[in-house]
Amino acid sequence: MLPASRHHGGWLVPGVPMIDASTPRAARAIVLAVAALALGAAAAAAPEPPPRPLSASDSALHVLQRFAFGPRAGQVDEVARQGALGWLDAQLAANGHDDARLAALEKRTPALALDPDEWARHFVDMRRAARAAKAGEGAPPAEMRAETREMLDQVRGIAMVRAVTAEDQLREVMASFWFDHFNVFLDKGADRFLLPSYVEDVIRPHALGHFVDLLIATARSPAMLFYLDNVQSVAPGTPVPPRANAGGARRTGINENYARELLELHTLGVDGGYTQQDVIAVARILTGWSMQPPAQGGGFVFRPRAHDFGEKVVLGTRFPAGHGEEEGVRLLRQLARHPATIRHLCTKLCARFVSDDPPDGCVDAAVAAWKASDGDVRQVVRAIAQSPEFWSAGAIGSKVKTPLEFVASAVRALDAAPDSGAKLADVVGRLGEPLYRQPSPAGYPERQEDWANSGALLARMNFAIALASGRAPGAAVDLDAILPVTADPAALVDAVNALVLGGAMTEHTRSVIVSELGDVRDPERGRALAVGLALGSPEFQRQ
Amino acid sequence: MKLSRRAFLKAGGLAMVSYGLDPLFLARATYSQPGPSARSGRVLVCLFQRGAVDGLSMLVPHGDAHYYKERPNIAIPESAAIDLDGRFALHPALAPLKPLWDARVLAPIHAIGSPDPTRSHFDAQDYMESGTPGVKATADGWLNRYCQHQREHDETPFRAVSFGPELPRILTGSAPSLAIGDLRAFGVRAPNDATRDRLTRAFEQLYETAPTGLLASSAQEGFEAANMLKKIEPERYVPEHRASYPNGRFGQSLLQIAQLIKAGVGLEIAFADVSGWDTHVNQGSEQGQLAARLGDFANGLAAFAQDLGDRMNDVVVVTCSEFGRTIAENGSSGTDHGRATAMLVMGGPVKGGRVLGRWPGLAAEARFEGRDLAVTTDFRDLFAELLGGHLGAGSLEAVFPGHAIEPGRFVGALRA
Repeated sequence: MLPASRHHGGWLVPGVPMIDASTPRAARAIVLAVAALALGAAAAAAPEPPPRPLSASDSALHVLQRFAFGPRAGQVDEVARQGALGWLDAQLAANGHDDARLAALEKRTPALALDPDEWARHFVDMRRAARAAKAGEGAPPAEMRAETREMLDQVRGIAMVRAVTAEDQLREVMASFWFDHFNVFLDKGADRFLLPSYVEDVIRPHALGHFVDLLIATARSPAMLFYLDNVQSVAPGTPVPPRANAGGARRTGINENYARELLELHTLGVDGGYTQQDVIAVARILTGWSMQPPAQGGGFVFRPRAHDFGEKVVLGTRFPAGHGEEEGVRLLRQLARHPATIRHLCTKLCARFVSDDPPDGCVDAAVAAWKASDGDVRQVVRAIAQSPEFWSAGAIGSKVKTPLEFVASAVRALDAAPDSGAKLADVVGRLGEPLYRQPSPAGYPERQEDWANSGALLARMNFAIALASGRAPGAAVDLDAILPVTADPAALVDAVNALVLGGAMTEHTRSVIVSELGDVRDPERGRALAVGLALGSPEFQRQ
Repeated sequence: MKLSRRAFLKAGGLAMVSYGLDPLFLARATYSQPGPSARSGRVLVCLFQRGAVDGLSMLVPHGDAHYYKERPNIAIPESAAIDLDGRFALHPALAPLKPLWDARVLAPIHAIGSPDPTRSHFDAQDYMESGTPGVKATADGWLNRYCQHQREHDETPFRAVSFGPELPRILTGSAPSLAIGDLRAFGVRAPNDATRDRLTRAFEQLYETAPTGLLASSAQEGFEAANMLKKIEPERYVPEHRASYPNGRFGQSLLQIAQLIKAGVGLEIAFADVSGWDTHVNQGSEQGQLAARLGDFANGLAAFAQDLGDRMNDVVVVTCSEFGRTIAENGSSGTDHGRATAMLVMGGPVKGGRVLGRWPGLAAEARFEGRDLAVTTDFRDLFAELLGGHLGAGSLEAVFPGHAIEPGRFVGALRA
């Protein structure tokens, strides 16, 4: 159950009542309309020309663009009837287990059924076979390679299937957000087999939970500890047994990599007020947080022998000598509740949901909700959605879609069915955002200038045309099911506007598409052309 | 038919501010302001050997006794190495580069690398591309920062081009740059030319008046590039002087760079990468795994130089790699992650025929952490020298923030 927001007297503009799930549907629609009018009036006082007032459909489109991977065909109308914030409340209350269609699709993905031990075993076998082959003892493990590729294709493929088909869209959006925030890199050594469990058991279950739990789960995940080299962080002076197959000199000493990213990226933020001495102290506290060898399952293990039991001071807080794993948990709890962390995370969430440079108002609202709920992601998301800044003219349609958002929203708009392989994920990769393959711990960026490069935009247009004409790899489209053939260009473009752009088509786009349709004789070709141009239009690149 | 960005800006550049248009769009738009083009026609080609190439195999220190002692199985034998100056020799697979050395347009730099000691491929690549070793938070790459700070350049979508599907870290940032997988496939694709032209025109119109700042300007750069490419007819390109590029992505990238240089479309920065250098196991000696990669590498570079002919007078090619490999071979007849590596500079402006850099030696006490070749040249000093001396960059401190530029540390890669 979600308690009603406690820290807001109202939303949008003063005096307008708040909407929540308990508001009757009809009343909600009225509130939305009133709010929309009030918004229009408020904006009119500014020197800019007044924005068009928000209709119920506009509001529905806006929440679906930000808290979902865009609207499914027909979903704008559904959500408009339900009320935009009513839909969001339902998404916030969803448990993620009532989606029979998605469950069926997940079932046809065998890689999801593998547990971490099985992944580890496969990795060990694979490595052994590769070594043997290189040493000239046996055939190259082509079959095993193919099997690995197939399994990882399934892992990447199911990410697209979920983004496109899941009913609980907000959970998928948050899972994607948190993966980027706590990024690991599929192609770094052991992360090839650690990543699937990281996604399933660390990120997804906590996508709509409390931040502190997610932070601790990532800190205890072998995928993260390996990716950011904490497994190599050993208290100085610890005697280390030589590795069986020592490739290089085995050194002792702390490795600051994870400690630094924990402070800089995961919690406080780069301007969060920590020093190099804090980084070193954090690294010392986390010495011993490690993983078992892959041959033993590769799970999390705390190694007391590698731990630095001395006294440390982090951000002025003393961590007395003589403590082991528990001082790390204490540190993570402290970091999760630090004011700099709260502001850093709230700003990042607002950059995702409101605008690239979010106004203070929505960040303040998110911070207040965070503090009141001890970092309950649902409450924070809710506060952002209820902030006037979320509904401001400067926010609506202001963000450029990432390649993942673009592809998922295009496939959703056409109700297309993604296949179980990685073809659609590969499309996202070719557009510049290979899933799980961002080497930098900062994850994929969020700002428009990171995605609006010329080559990538042309590639988006090509995907748009290919998808509309049923030639896109990895997604089966049936336009007949969603868009009747018509010989009337104006009627066709109206239908395409509703279907693809949620009614947000500009006059200019409309006139260009109508004129392009002028000499197309075959109505099916005309339909595909209109849909393709709409998917490739500037409006569709934004959300 | 379409309004050029420059005309648009001249007409109403200032007016746009009051409409609240994207400041970044304005920032970008200023790149197209006409200005003096100090070093018109100069090109810098940056080639990244991803995976950490073994510099000690590229440029063999055959005069250093430790080399043969530490590498009983994988050292390049004295008899096979191509001697350069009595101390260093080229790997035999790099033989195609020897004529360029003899013509004094090729210079290797030894013991070059990053001041950051990480042995992580991805961190080290990140640092070499951001140009800020040890600093993760840097948002853009150093080649992009060069374009940001050196605005005097002809208006062209082809100023900075990476050959590959994604824009690499080194070219990301607020200055426009293109990622091109294949010149022949760049642009709107369609089964036939008529459909392609038609779709291109339609999309061009869609983005023409898009009130979306950056999207509109980026799309327009894309269309401009695609339209210019159509005139170049990349599918008809034939290399000159009987140059023969190796098959594969690296050779094709070099061919396309040569093609853009000759097309006169304003290319100033070209980037391509080539992988397969992470030779932990069975590296090989004068033949084998690494030799095959180096052979492909050298054939590509030699074909490029031959194809361009006199045009190489305006071109400098620099190769780089995130770090080098261990001095000693490991238990699998390979090498592990080390420290310094070797890089090459090639081109008419290069003061070649000399091995550059200070050689720290392979003696135990000279090594980094007692095991790896020490870095004596910071990679930023080489890149800075090329940007300043070849392209005429004026704001090198802005390109490499946090790094004091002292010409005294330059290796002297360029003719005066």
